[in-house]
Amino acid sequence: MFPMVELKDVSTVYEGEKFPSIRNITLTIQQGEFVTIVGPNGAGKTTLLETVNGLLPSDGSIAVNNKNLKTDGTLIRKGIGYVPQEFACDSLTPFIVEDVVMMGRYGKMGLLRSPTKEDWTIVQGVMSFLSVDTLKHTPVGKLSGGQLQKVMIARALAVEPEVLLLDEPFSNLDMKSRSELTEKLTALNKKGLTILMVIHDRASIPSACKRIITLEQGEIVSDKKFKVIQ
Amino acid sequence: MSDLLVLAILGAVLTGISCSLVGSFVVRMNLSSLGFAMSHAAFAGAALGLVLSLDPLGLAIVFSIGVAVLLGPLAEKANLPTNVILGVIFSLMISLGLIFINLIPQTAMSSVALSILWGSILGMTVTSVLRLLVLSVAIVLVYWLFFKEFQAIMFSRKLAEASGINTRPFYYLILFLTGITVAFSLKLVGGLLVFALMVNPASSAYQFFYDMKKITIVSPLIGILCCVSGITISFLVDLPVGSSIAVVSSAIFAVAVILSPKRKRG
Repeated sequence: MFPMVELKDVSTVYEGEKFPSIRNITLTIQQGEFVTIVGPNGAGKTTLLETVNGLLPSDGSIAVNNKNLKTDGTLIRKGIGYVPQEFACDSLTPFIVEDVVMMGRYGKMGLLRSPTKEDWTIVQGVMSFLSVDTLKHTPVGKLSGGQLQKVMIARALAVEPEVLLLDEPFSNLDMKSRSELTEKLTALNKKGLTILMVIHDRASIPSACKRIITLEQGEIVSDKKFKVIQ
Repeated sequence: MSDLLVLAILGAVLTGISCSLVGSFVVRMNLSSLGFAMSHAAFAGAALGLVLSLDPLGLAIVFSIGVAVLLGPLAEKANLPTNVILGVIFSLMISLGLIFINLIPQTAMSSVALSILWGSILGMTVTSVLRLLVLSVAIVLVYWLFFKEFQAIMFSRKLAEASGINTRPFYYLILFLTGITVAFSLKLVGGLLVFALMVNPASSAYQFFYDMKKITIVSPLIGILCCVSGITISFLVDLPVGSSIAVVSSAIFAVAVILSPKRKRG
């Protein structure tokens, strides 16, 4: 094991605001760890995720897989799968499911290159894994909230990430889909994927998650080992 | 057919292509208000050029791109929603444009001034057609080379950035091309209505397809249809060409919304 995500004294202030949404966060996540972040609304959970992949500018130092986010941000993001919170599409959105999943690979492909047969094989693989392959020609604007959530997870996995950042991945999912997704995340984690997940409902924390971090008012108030009580 | 009409039709085809192509990005990224502000800025710039006896096209480009470049930082510093800033810029630019037109000294210049306001068939010269040709080729080339990056940005700029695409250069490249397109289209369509040619054909194409490639091909075709029809109406009935094009493109958009399969339930 080696440190996959390292944050030292990290604070993030939104443009135009005086006080940081997260402050002085120091945190190390080892390769292959499954970590869940919990906390009340406004605690800074989403800010923390978006700070880790450099979508928000921050103070302090952040390294992912030994690369400095400030100097290698774009390179680092090519190895991070990110699922945002409650992503929505309007009915006119001009993309079908397989295009959206393929977009996850565009950064990795680089400029002036078109998707290869191998890229399509990976995309087909993640769509099958998330059971959305039957929807591959469906416009994303016509999907239900749960279906769209699975497509966004497939898109994040199409990156073939070293780290998977999930922001409320169980929202919009029914109980059966939650349970299936939990199994799939567990399987991915067993294969060595580092997972950092933000969740509101503690009851949804998968048993594969071994560490739970609680955020309150932008600060870490607890960082504990997690064990599901059967 | 007179040389003038041939130039006007060629100019119309190329204006239709360039405006609608950048329009497909502008519409999808909800930048219609920006296109609106840029077109009025270009109008103000061209009018200032006439007042100062400088190249109206050059100043139109400077004003138009200046709006795009200033908008982001201005919105951040003032901590105001972008649409509020755009509203202020729009009213400022249209006011400046009208003030500059008032200041144009010679009576002979007033027809030129009116042409940048409403557009004119007479505005097309060999040079302006060649400029539009180069611009259209450049836009097609940029779209062709970076289509997948634009697709990802048009789906979600945030997610495109999150998956390792450096979105800023692409975003600003399109804004830059939009600024030049607006300025180059002023002569034919006029500053007050050029945004209609950007928004309406692309919005019409969006009503029918779930494939960006098809939208990128069909938008300019609708743009050409709007421009050529608008020019024909303007020529036959002696109406301002910009207004004719805007009316035709609005009618096409209305029909597209009614016929759109995306809006049918079930």
